[in-house]
Amino acid sequence: MEPFRDTDLSAELRALRPTPRPAFAAELDERAAAGFPRRAGGGASPLSRVAQRIRAFEPRRALVPAGATALAAIAAVTVVVAVGEDGVDPTPSPQADSAAREGSFLSETTAVPPESAASSGGAASTEMKAGPSSGGPYASQAPNREVERSAEIALVTEPAEVAKDAGRVFEAVHAHRGIVLSSSVSDGAEGEAGARFELLIPSPRLGDALAALSAIAEVRSRHEATADITAPTVRSGELLRDSRATIDGLLTQLSRADTDTERSATEAKLRAERRRSTFLRSRLSNLQRRANFSRVSLRIETGAAPVADSGDEGWGIGAALDDAGNILGIAAAVTVVALAIIAPIALLAGLAWLANHVRLRRARERALS
Amino acid sequence: MNQTLVATAETAPREADLAFDRLYRSSRDDVYAYVASLVRDPAAAEEVTATAFERAYRKRSRFDPRRGEPRAWLFGIARNAALDELRRRGRQAELAAEPADLLAAPAQESAEASERRLALAAALAGLEPRERELIALKFFAGLANAEIAAVVGVSESNAGTKLHRAVTKLREACDGAL
Repeated sequence: MEPFRDTDLSAELRALRPTPRPAFAAELDERAAAGFPRRAGGGASPLSRVAQRIRAFEPRRALVPAGATALAAIAAVTVVVAVGEDGVDPTPSPQADSAAREGSFLSETTAVPPESAASSGGAASTEMKAGPSSGGPYASQAPNREVERSAEIALVTEPAEVAKDAGRVFEAVHAHRGIVLSSSVSDGAEGEAGARFELLIPSPRLGDALAALSAIAEVRSRHEATADITAPTVRSGELLRDSRATIDGLLTQLSRADTDTERSATEAKLRAERRRSTFLRSRLSNLQRRANFSRVSLRIETGAAPVADSGDEGWGIGAALDDAGNILGIAAAVTVVALAIIAPIALLAGLAWLANHVRLRRARERALS
Repeated sequence: MNQTLVATAETAPREADLAFDRLYRSSRDDVYAYVASLVRDPAAAEEVTATAFERAYRKRSRFDPRRGEPRAWLFGIARNAALDELRRRGRQAELAAEPADLLAAPAQESAEASERRLALAAALAGLEPRERELIALKFFAGLANAEIAAVVGVSESNAGTKLHRAVTKLREACDGAL
């Protein structure tokens, strides 16, 4: 018999080629025409069907919805963080500071509406803050509340009118029996000319005084604040009464002293108690003065209003850019945090996928060995 | 055999369906022949062939024409499906086809032709499984060397060399048997 030639070998091998049954070929053609619908059951377990679905998952198709979801999540977290930051005012009011300095018995907050609120006129923005007020068992039972009030007013006028308006400020202060603690008046061009006043106005007259001051020129801004200082006032009064009683007792004790040693010891206690009484009287006087007189800071400005650092008034391009920068910063921070969480998970998932891919490939190759 | 699948799939799904239909019609019997050679069981070969086309249809939009020909991609899927079937059955690959199929001599075949065919089948059965797979891809499925290389995951020159060795070994075995 003749040996195989290349052409013979090819032809003989092709003759050995397995061919599908006509029935199977027809059935497969039908399934191909129908777009290869999934076979019902197909003998596959639910687990294997899930595995098939996972294998059929196309990552590229998931990119757009996954990206959109990620962007929406970042935007939502950014809004939550931004709103959370806006809700906290880290800058304490001066009244809060002063109330905090007053002592350790600050526990109750009482908002006292300023009597000037109803009488304020003009287009000024009026903001009222009820600072942390003093409280406690004594303060809560006090019949008359001691309230410290303060106000800031900014007026705007022409440079030529600054001196004239400053004079009207003095007149208004004197008319309401107030005190000018300090004043400063500057001439010059628009933006340079201006005046500053630090005033003390009797608290019962504060509303009328503010109305009179607001009538001098156009009000650019107005801010009023209150702080309840009843508790430290009552407490100081009680301590002062106790101190005076102690002094009286010591004086009686001194008059009855029999020996020099006893007399000297009593006099030392008396001196110490008098110093304490003086301090308490001074503190009480200071608190009563703060309640009786309201501090008013008045500015007379010329030219355009400076860009506001915060608050809604004066919100413009600069503030918008600041806000946009803040929001972008928050979004960037949220993205970094999200990446810090997702990146290791994605890395582990990728390594797991790669390991499984290599394992599967080796297992398949072993099937041929 | 230059067909496009995904180049059109991304822009016109209908065109992709038509391209896949052309690929199916041109490759159906070739895929079956290759798979039947691997799993050596006609019923399993039908199941694996259907599974391979089903997987390919589901993945047709993922085919990247820059990474190879559509037929190579399709035979790669068929190879994985067949090897999965072999793994599932825990059986080693026997590249020789089912004896009932290969050895069934046509009525008009001469005794000499029948003897040559038996010798060839025996020689084929004596080859290493990977060599038999190369023979099946080349002569049963009709793949070019570049396509074979893509299917089995080697370079084209390496695939050509291995195929040449397998054919030489097969011829020597046949000549020895005769």
